[in-house]
Amino acid sequence: MKKIDKNDGITGRKELRDSLRSMKRADILVGIPSYNNARTIGHVVKAVQAGLAKYFPHMRAVLVNSDGGSTDGTPDVVQKASIEDFQSILVRHRAIPVFKIATPYSGIPGKGSAFRTIFEIAGMLKVKACAVVDSDLRSITPEWIELLIKPLIDDSYDYVAPLYHRHKYDGTITNSIVYPLTRALYGKRIRQPIGGDFGFSGKLAEFYLSKDVWETDVARFGIDIWMTTTAVANDFRVCQAFLGAKIHDPKDPGADLSAMLYEVTGAAFDLMEAYEDVWNKVSGSEDIPSYGFQYAVGLEPVSVNLERMVDKFRLGVEELGSIWKEVLSPDIIDFLYDVKKVSVDNFHIPSEAWAEIVYSFAIGVHRKIMNKEHLLKSLTPLYMGRTASFVIETAGSDSAEVEAKIDELCQVFEHKKNMLIADWVQQGGFHEHS
Amino acid sequence: MNILDRIIVEPLEQFCEKIIRFMPNVLTSVVMLIIGIIAGSVLKGAFLRIFKAVNLDKYCERFGMVDMLAKSGIEEPVSVILSRIIKLVTIFIFIVIALQSLNFPSVTMIMDRFFLYLPNVFVAALLLFAGYILSSFGGRAVLIAAVNSGIRSARLISRLVRIFILLLSLSMALEQLDIGKGTIVLAFSILLGGAVLSLSIAFGLGGRDIARKYLEKKFMKDDENDDIQHL
Repeated sequence: MKKIDKNDGITGRKELRDSLRSMKRADILVGIPSYNNARTIGHVVKAVQAGLAKYFPHMRAVLVNSDGGSTDGTPDVVQKASIEDFQSILVRHRAIPVFKIATPYSGIPGKGSAFRTIFEIAGMLKVKACAVVDSDLRSITPEWIELLIKPLIDDSYDYVAPLYHRHKYDGTITNSIVYPLTRALYGKRIRQPIGGDFGFSGKLAEFYLSKDVWETDVARFGIDIWMTTTAVANDFRVCQAFLGAKIHDPKDPGADLSAMLYEVTGAAFDLMEAYEDVWNKVSGSEDIPSYGFQYAVGLEPVSVNLERMVDKFRLGVEELGSIWKEVLSPDIIDFLYDVKKVSVDNFHIPSEAWAEIVYSFAIGVHRKIMNKEHLLKSLTPLYMGRTASFVIETAGSDSAEVEAKIDELCQVFEHKKNMLIADWVQQGGFHEHS
Repeated sequence: MNILDRIIVEPLEQFCEKIIRFMPNVLTSVVMLIIGIIAGSVLKGAFLRIFKAVNLDKYCERFGMVDMLAKSGIEEPVSVILSRIIKLVTIFIFIVIALQSLNFPSVTMIMDRFFLYLPNVFVAALLLFAGYILSSFGGRAVLIAAVNSGIRSARLISRLVRIFILLLSLSMALEQLDIGKGTIVLAFSILLGGAVLSLSIAFGLGGRDIARKYLEKKFMKDDENDDIQHL
């Protein structure tokens, strides 16, 4: 365990340290990591304030904005944002005012470093329950705070994962890779393992802080999957809460999909190395307790360019086949060449093939077969193909049918886990075999 | 008798004396040569085992070296080739030592010059090796990035990057070996400058619209993005 350098985190900043000392302790902490979110963060801060006022009026609460050096005045918006008229939203005045801290984080730039600052403040104030919410949310309501915090306080849970209603074509990396993989590996059906809005106990925040990961990729990206996996793999009590729709500011259209895929899958595969002794003993999966009243949500339509997706898949098969041959079985390679030839209408990548592809890439990373970034970025055309196949398959399906399809995929991941374990052992994995 | 002594016996005695004086050197050389052959064989065997133990052949396969050698008609595993090179180098070093122990001034001079030049050969070999590794790495990175961006000529671009890096390392290696020092730098500059200039003229002045249309058609499929939020 790495000892935290006094000048490394918030303890090195006198002003913040003094203001935390004056607070002494708090019951609840809500953290909002941000970077140039002046447009949306005001709404998030107000929703958090209203949530704390409405559902936790007698608890000492602190709102922490951990900022990555925004240049658009995000911290000012946080400081100025407040609900003028609590009566208008049927909230009684809080007995204890919410304490607000807007502080820049130190360390490697990234969401993970922002979270580290939040964990540190939670540790200093010895809070009972924490929540983190994204700063670009448009659909956050005061109820989110209740749903993320209440299970921690009332039912002694340690981790509350979010549960959203999303458009069937949204969150495709989650639906096709992260959820099935996490569920098959660790045996818990956490539907949104990288949702971005979580609740966690003070005890878990301290546990996170004690981990020596803050100079690694976790500080830059992958903090969401790291938090979820760390909680599950270390036997913390986990549940999920239905928050409604998740609508956030449109992401940068120029954001590179392959970089996103590399970050998420890379983080998940790295965690497989760290917790190999945990996941190799798990078989099947189980539901986790859910909080919140589930209701149908009207979602904005999502336009999909199928032709373009399939084209990218075909180009990938044509040009990256030699790289894939290093990780995929000859049967899968032959299958991909066959799929390349069919028309868009008949295009189909079945769940079995997809699960085998994802597991093979995990083994490829484990074997260090080539540069990790190259290998995982080469997964992009295959992911595009699988997404196109999913879109075609679910074109006329409602959300329940889509969920059933995703559940079916998860079951395939669970069934094929033996293949993963066998290959992992063959490559010198698992401590008892090495 | 005296004449016979002076013409035949004395030169013969001198020759025998020289032979006797030279014999230890010859013997030393022969011994060194035998030691060299034995040491070479021992080192070959030892290094072959080490290479097998560290799975060198597997790593070389991953770096594409096996493919490269196969294209040149070499089918043997890299571990065998390298251990054989080690054997030959060892024997060669002992041959050099054996030649030096003969004490021929001309041989000694040639050997001195050779040893002074040897570091250049070593650095040039390193440059070529680094260039090869870098070209494979860069070529693959470009290929993946280009495919993910939907660029149709991804393989061509990747090959050009590989060739460029290989040429760069080759020119550096040749410069290190003092072979056509000025010429190679000049040729390389002319080649690169010429390529950039012709591209600028072709795409900049020769017809911007045509160039734009060509690039759009050649490299980009269409600009229609979808709204999928992947995360």
